[in-house]
Amino acid sequence: MMDFFKKAELSAILSVIGIIALFSLSVAVVLVAPQHVDKSWVEPTSPYMVQMYELSDPNVFISATKLDTQDVEVVDRLTAGESLLAFQETKTFKIKADPSLQRYITKEGEKPLKLTSRLLLLRPIEGGYELFDPKKTEVFSLGSPDTTLENWVDQGFVVLDPGAAWHKLSGVIYRMNPIEYRVQLYSEEGRQAWRYDPKGEEIASLEALKASPFKFLSRKELIAQGEHVYQIEGCWYCHTDQTRTLIQDLTLNGSDSYPSPPSSANEYIYQEVTFPGTKRNGPDLSRTGVKRPSRDWHKAHFWAPKTQSKGSIMPAFRHFFDFDPRGTGKKTAGVPNYQFEAIYQYLMTKGTRITPPTEAWWLGKDPIDTISIIEGRK
Amino acid sequence: MTTASTATKYDDTAAKWLIYPSLIFMVLGMAFGVFAAFNGFVVPDYFSGEYVTFGRVRPVHVGHVTLLWLLSCDIGLFFYFVPRLCGTPLWNQPLAKATVLLWWFSLVVGVFSFPFGTNTGWEYAELPYWVGWFPIKMMFTVAFVLAAIILYMTIFKRKYEKMYVSLWYVMGTLIWTTFTWLVGSFVVNWVPEGISRVNVNFFFVHNLVGLIFTPMGLATAYYALPKLSGVPIYSHWLSMLGFWSIATVYAWVGAHHIIHGPMSQWLQTTSIVFSIWLFIPVFSVVTNLFATLSSHWEKYQASAPLRFIMMGNIFYLITCVQGPLMALRNINEITSKTDWVIGHSHVSLFATFSFFAAAGVYQALPQLTGKPLWSKRLADWHFALSLLGSFPFIASLWIGGFLQGMLWSDWASGSSYAEFHNNLSQMTFLQTVEFMHPWWMWRFIGGAIILFANLLFVANVFNTVLLPKREEEAYS
Repeated sequence: MMDFFKKAELSAILSVIGIIALFSLSVAVVLVAPQHVDKSWVEPTSPYMVQMYELSDPNVFISATKLDTQDVEVVDRLTAGESLLAFQETKTFKIKADPSLQRYITKEGEKPLKLTSRLLLLRPIEGGYELFDPKKTEVFSLGSPDTTLENWVDQGFVVLDPGAAWHKLSGVIYRMNPIEYRVQLYSEEGRQAWRYDPKGEEIASLEALKASPFKFLSRKELIAQGEHVYQIEGCWYCHTDQTRTLIQDLTLNGSDSYPSPPSSANEYIYQEVTFPGTKRNGPDLSRTGVKRPSRDWHKAHFWAPKTQSKGSIMPAFRHFFDFDPRGTGKKTAGVPNYQFEAIYQYLMTKGTRITPPTEAWWLGKDPIDTISIIEGRK
Repeated sequence: MTTASTATKYDDTAAKWLIYPSLIFMVLGMAFGVFAAFNGFVVPDYFSGEYVTFGRVRPVHVGHVTLLWLLSCDIGLFFYFVPRLCGTPLWNQPLAKATVLLWWFSLVVGVFSFPFGTNTGWEYAELPYWVGWFPIKMMFTVAFVLAAIILYMTIFKRKYEKMYVSLWYVMGTLIWTTFTWLVGSFVVNWVPEGISRVNVNFFFVHNLVGLIFTPMGLATAYYALPKLSGVPIYSHWLSMLGFWSIATVYAWVGAHHIIHGPMSQWLQTTSIVFSIWLFIPVFSVVTNLFATLSSHWEKYQASAPLRFIMMGNIFYLITCVQGPLMALRNINEITSKTDWVIGHSHVSLFATFSFFAAAGVYQALPQLTGKPLWSKRLADWHFALSLLGSFPFIASLWIGGFLQGMLWSDWASGSSYAEFHNNLSQMTFLQTVEFMHPWWMWRFIGGAIILFANLLFVANVFNTVLLPKREEEAYS
């Protein structure tokens, strides 16, 4: 080996060292330094973003396994001492409760909004709902199929019995009026099916919820799977995922009345793989959750993009579906296919989580006031 | 015969095992490209279904032309000319053969697995970590490192003391490529999620072109040009200047892929400054190659391989003037995210480095086979049609892409958001996509011509290899 180095000419060794030194210098400055210099590379955009990814996503469960429809069923998992719940009456929504539970109800017009980490649920009774204590550490409540945004409060609220550390933050995600989830099992075409039924059986555990016949997946699992779909389908060859600091981008991704704020480095910190993209054969997707929130629109679009968007060159992605979502195909009771719901949930994270709903840019509450900047007033 | 005596001295088996298959993959890759140009753009979704969408075919095309063709061919050419520049046979021929087998197995399995959902999601680093039981990415990494070791050992054991410039480029690119490959393939997973990974990926993306294909192509050109023309290289000093400026500049420019994007402004500015410095290596290389042939232009007419080098040199000038300018914020605003970029990448990888590699193959072939090229006329057609196809191919992407970028920028005319938004409703995004259709048609036509030209190339090469030596054809 030494013989070998002796044979190697000095200039050759020096040049190898020079090459390595030059390369290491650039690596240190270009790759290592930025995340230490610019903290926005690693810190989240808002507490809402953190709570969406870390608290909400793992506890919202979605299933698309019903036999006769691809409508989704959404169930929220609530845990004692962790989930924050609000029970609020309106003109039409009335809650009955034992005197001992009355203190958890926010009456119509009453302020502040009362939140609790005690695990309570509502169940339908004659003429309204009853608040009761299921005396469990984990229960399931009926969720809303609109899963893009969560209830968020950052002023005029009180947490009656703060448990977890995040309950003391200045803004929190909470569940409004959770109603107990019960199911009726039945048979269809020789297969076991179920539907929501307030008089049915309760779901025993998280394992039961995820097992046959329910087969629920958490939104966290779906978003991760959606990212994987986006990755392997190569969506990112034709769609960028960045709103650039250019007026044309802010306009393309803006709402009718307000421009989109440009993408910031920390929008992407909860992604395994990030797809900023280099080419736009289709529009940018970084604000899709705001621009196109409709699940039905996306179903029709993935099934037949050229029909749904005139002039589009996007191929059809029919393998995302078990059967034609327009209801014209024959009924197939096959292996449940989560690909559509996964990519939909992934897309719905785009642009909806950078600020809490109370600072929604599409409603003109953009904290950086992009519109003033591009109109030259700031 | 002198060729026979050199053939016994240098065992070119490993070089042949890399170069010959790479030519097959070149035309296959071009065929995938033409298919994608048709099925993605000319008649979108004509062939429909899970495995033939643009998103699944594009990485197969790119994997072919970058890895299975250009990288493989360049390493094959290294296996051919590095021993000749060193005056010593390739170090450890059995290991070289084993390396080549591992190389092909990992790349073929990896690239052909993309339609079945193995894309890693990082541009140019799509090669999967695992395909079934095979750790494809690691296997390819090992193959590359082994190839680098074999070439370095050959250089260290050389007989000729003076190191020709091609050897410098070989040594540089082997180190850079190893680092770049490791960073883009593995280190990318060790940095924090989000923009840090994007930054690492763009570092990789740019270095793949700048620190792998550029020095490999130049090493080949610097070797083949004097050999083909019989004229020594114009200036050793200029080639050294080119080498060290490439070494200094390229690794800094990755962030220019995300100008105006969600990345720190100082990093964007740094990348722009270094991008402008790229003019130094470019002009030194271009000057050097032109000056070499400047008083011998009759050779240009006589030899198709020389035409490939010289025309590749012109395209190199074009692509490398374009590149730094595209990094400027105001030009980037128009060209970025449009087909201009696709045009740019094809000028560099096809019209420059594939031209250089083709010239390298033409130069090597008589030495590898001990026979003259089967048909010079076919080589002339290969060059003429490659060039002819390049014009509609590249011009359509540039012009169309530029005009689409201008259409997008029209949204920003005015002074209020109401005006911007109104501009957008007057010319929607999808209308700008429809606008591209005729340009995409021309791209498809150009691509088909290029594919045909290279079918002639491959036919010529394999006729040389397989058919018995024939009398020199009547060459008019």
